[in-house]
Amino acid sequence: MAIGSLKARQQPTDLDGPRQRRHRPDYWLLLIATALIVIGLIVLYAISPGLAIQKQVGDNYFVNKQMIAIALGIVAFVAMANIPVNFWRHLQRPLLIAAALSAIAVRLFGERVNGAYRWIQVGGMSFQAAELIKFALLIWLACFLVERIQEGNLGDVKKTLQPLIIAMVIIGLVVGKVQSDFGSTAVMVAMIGSMAFVAGMPMKRVMMVGAIVAIGGLLLIAGSSYRRDRLMTFMHPEQDCQNAGYQVCQALITVGSGGMFGLGVANSVQAYGYLPEAANDSIFAILAEKFGFIGVTALVALFVTFFRRLFRIAERAPDDYSRLLVVGILAWLSTQVLINVGAMLGLLPLKGITLPFISYGGTSLVFVLGAVGLVFQISRYTVYRTAAVSSQTGQTTREGRANESAPHWRRNGRAHNPAVGRRSQA
Amino acid sequence: MHPRSPMPSTGSNPAVQRLRLWYSVFLLVAAVFIVRSFYLQVIRHDYYRQLAMNSQLKEYQIPAERGVIAAHDGDTVVPVVLNQKLYTLFADPKYIKDSWKDAHQIADAIGGDASYYEKQMKVNSRYSVLAKKLNKEQRAKVEKLKLKGVGTRETTYRTYPQGQLAAQLLGFVNDEGEGKYGLEQALDSQLKGQAGELRAITDARGIPLVANKDNIVKEAQAGKRVVLTIDIAMQKQLEDNLKAGLERAKSKSGDAMIMDPNTGAILAMASFPTYSPADFSKVEDANVFTNASVSSALEVGSSMKPLTAAAALDQGVVKRETTYFDPSFYDIDGYKITNIEEDGGAGTRSVSDIIQLSLNTGATWLLMQMGGGQINQKARQTWHGYMVDRYQFGKQTGIEQGYETAGTIPDPNDGYGLNLQYANTAFGQGMTATPLQMAGALASVVNGGTYYKPHLVDGYMNKDNQLVQQKPTVVKAGVIKPEVSQTVKEIMQYSFEKNHVGYGMPRLPAGYSIGGKTGTAQIAKPGGGYYEDKFNGTFTGFVGGDKPQYIIVTRVNEPKIPGYAGSKAAAPMFVDMTNMLINNFNVTPKS
Repeated sequence: MAIGSLKARQQPTDLDGPRQRRHRPDYWLLLIATALIVIGLIVLYAISPGLAIQKQVGDNYFVNKQMIAIALGIVAFVAMANIPVNFWRHLQRPLLIAAALSAIAVRLFGERVNGAYRWIQVGGMSFQAAELIKFALLIWLACFLVERIQEGNLGDVKKTLQPLIIAMVIIGLVVGKVQSDFGSTAVMVAMIGSMAFVAGMPMKRVMMVGAIVAIGGLLLIAGSSYRRDRLMTFMHPEQDCQNAGYQVCQALITVGSGGMFGLGVANSVQAYGYLPEAANDSIFAILAEKFGFIGVTALVALFVTFFRRLFRIAERAPDDYSRLLVVGILAWLSTQVLINVGAMLGLLPLKGITLPFISYGGTSLVFVLGAVGLVFQISRYTVYRTAAVSSQTGQTTREGRANESAPHWRRNGRAHNPAVGRRSQA
Repeated sequence: MHPRSPMPSTGSNPAVQRLRLWYSVFLLVAAVFIVRSFYLQVIRHDYYRQLAMNSQLKEYQIPAERGVIAAHDGDTVVPVVLNQKLYTLFADPKYIKDSWKDAHQIADAIGGDASYYEKQMKVNSRYSVLAKKLNKEQRAKVEKLKLKGVGTRETTYRTYPQGQLAAQLLGFVNDEGEGKYGLEQALDSQLKGQAGELRAITDARGIPLVANKDNIVKEAQAGKRVVLTIDIAMQKQLEDNLKAGLERAKSKSGDAMIMDPNTGAILAMASFPTYSPADFSKVEDANVFTNASVSSALEVGSSMKPLTAAAALDQGVVKRETTYFDPSFYDIDGYKITNIEEDGGAGTRSVSDIIQLSLNTGATWLLMQMGGGQINQKARQTWHGYMVDRYQFGKQTGIEQGYETAGTIPDPNDGYGLNLQYANTAFGQGMTATPLQMAGALASVVNGGTYYKPHLVDGYMNKDNQLVQQKPTVVKAGVIKPEVSQTVKEIMQYSFEKNHVGYGMPRLPAGYSIGGKTGTAQIAKPGGGYYEDKFNGTFTGFVGGDKPQYIIVTRVNEPKIPGYAGSKAAAPMFVDMTNMLINNFNVTPKS
């Protein structure tokens, strides 16, 4: 409904239609992403000696691998920033098939870690199937929801709700059960929920979906003793610091021992074998240990700023498809940050999930940078829709005013308000 | 277009409204995280810091290097105990997958029994020793195999450049690093040094992260480097003589020692059978560990008689020229004190005869003189005073040896059959003393009357590798008068001159003064009484020129040759050692 109500103003959904006018992209995205990656590299470099001893590799092993991942990520970013967003609509099906194949490949040839199949080795690097599935889901959902908006049946149980629920069930079974990746499952469910919610699905339906997700989640937890244990240790980590609760305990110790200003970049101790997954899932705790509450606040502020850029771009997205893509990416990355940080702060049950940009890990970084590339491209085409609305009603919105009255340097630096009337209605 | 938006419109795009709502929720969660982070990092910081420290901060002991031991070799000082770093090969059976294969790989690399290795890899423990004392090359070979669950650990071992020399005197260091027996036990705390302390932030495996500023280090203080009074050449020859003498006497065990009577320094001290301190763990009979000269007290027998004579002379109750009628037996408290058959029967005897003929009755007569003609309270107390306060019997000498025994001297005032008991002590029975105590007592009697503390430590090496010698300690000055000392010395020389052929010394070397006294004593039964056919032979004597230079004490346990153990088994050893000293160790002839 929400976006559907604006349908009248949409440009035609001709997939290969002429591209809209470009303006300056949102370089802040690039800047913040670079800052986050650099922070991650610094932390990784600082804890490398400890990691290297545990894994019996050279001191530069981790940093070198991460540099390769960053290089691949830059390639992905550039590609995604330049391939027209609409192009992906053609690839909906191939992407879904590729995602399905990767899920099967992981089950057949994957490495089994802690009873879960998540990785396959591809030419010396390991590939995490869930990342590809997230991307395929993103494209499919955007296309699917835009179609529903255009058909005006977002609230329809059969046309909209049913496919979404089926998608969630498949994800729950494949990612949640077979890959035993509850974190990624949660991220994907959050993507579905957020995109459907912003697309304008009626609140009643949204709540229905929420209820189904809750029940499904409980079933998944109840069906696995491993997850039951995790939930128990989440509620009482101190009761089992030696075994199941070890990582939670160590995470809290790591975060807590950082104090106000941290121990300093070179003085982290917990990375030396105490805190499991110090470079990957637990890197936030190491960062908190090194840089203290000040550092945590700065990092959260950086993420919030980053997501604010995404939020702004989504607000001003030129069309529903672009908006939903940005919302999906926003949901993807922010959920991942919240789950990761929440777990390290003992607020959420522990999930094996990476902290975007910061964590060591190639697949995650490549796909995250690819997603940022996609948003970067969309940021070239943002419009002041609110101002446009106001022009219809004859009122000036607060935001419109704010920008008009702002001194030049404070403006967003993009093209002038594109009046509806000036835009091609081809 | 849908008829209405489900959300209240503020005039903006409803999609944006929902997006804002979504974003607000995100901001709210982010705010909660900041609050939570503040709680963990600022409010509860101390608690978590403490928890972190509990696991990160570990205390280590830095082992101190154990002090090495050296001894004299003529004018130079040479090491007798050194330290060597070797490696213990161990397995953690939990990580061993294929014990047969691992065991054979190890056996191929360093030798040894593969089936033993395999057995050790299967024990139910997390630490199983496969082999000890691997050298660096062997260790490198094993490490090269990169076997999971097999590791090496550095261990410091004592090594003995002189082999078995002075084994009991030195003692050994057990696997726990504790000094056992001999010098290692007695000087354990000095040799051990002071372990250093390292409090370090470590990684999860306990390896210190050196760069951390929280480390507090107390340097380990190496143990003292000891230089012994022992002369290793003399020690070697003493051991050879002891072994040969015991073989000749068909005895299984015995001991001998040489002391400098003018300082109390022990120059050589040996027990037999002996062992190799490097292989102490292979020894089955722990008796070989003991230094018998200080740990095994015996009834000294007739060796006591010169001391009894010295006491009587010192008291002035007899003179050198004094003669008396010896009845060849005394009846004391209903018991008969008799002499050996060769005493020549009843007759007039001199003080010298008492020593030379080894008269038990004579010793008893000397004791009677201390009591004014009979054995009484005064005699007992006087003689007890000489034995304990002057000759230092019945108490430890304090020599730097483990398990020193004090021996026993009967109480002079209390007990059943006191007079008989004291008559016995006059000729070395009913009391016990160690050979070391005998040496110390004789030294004080022949050196002019000064009891020097018997000692094995000459001094310690300082930082500049210079020997800092310790001065001899005078335990008791004026043990006997100097002129009495001279007299006793002469009597003992006289006695030796008379008996030397019987001791196996057909010709006396010219220009030296040699004196001594045999002792043969029945061996006491553990439950009381004596074995009829088991004897100890001892010989306590001196050799020198104008003044005695060396005290020699020899002991032979249960010799299996005919004749008295003292004169037939122990005395020949004394003769050998006297010759050895005169030939090799600068005995100054009489002027």
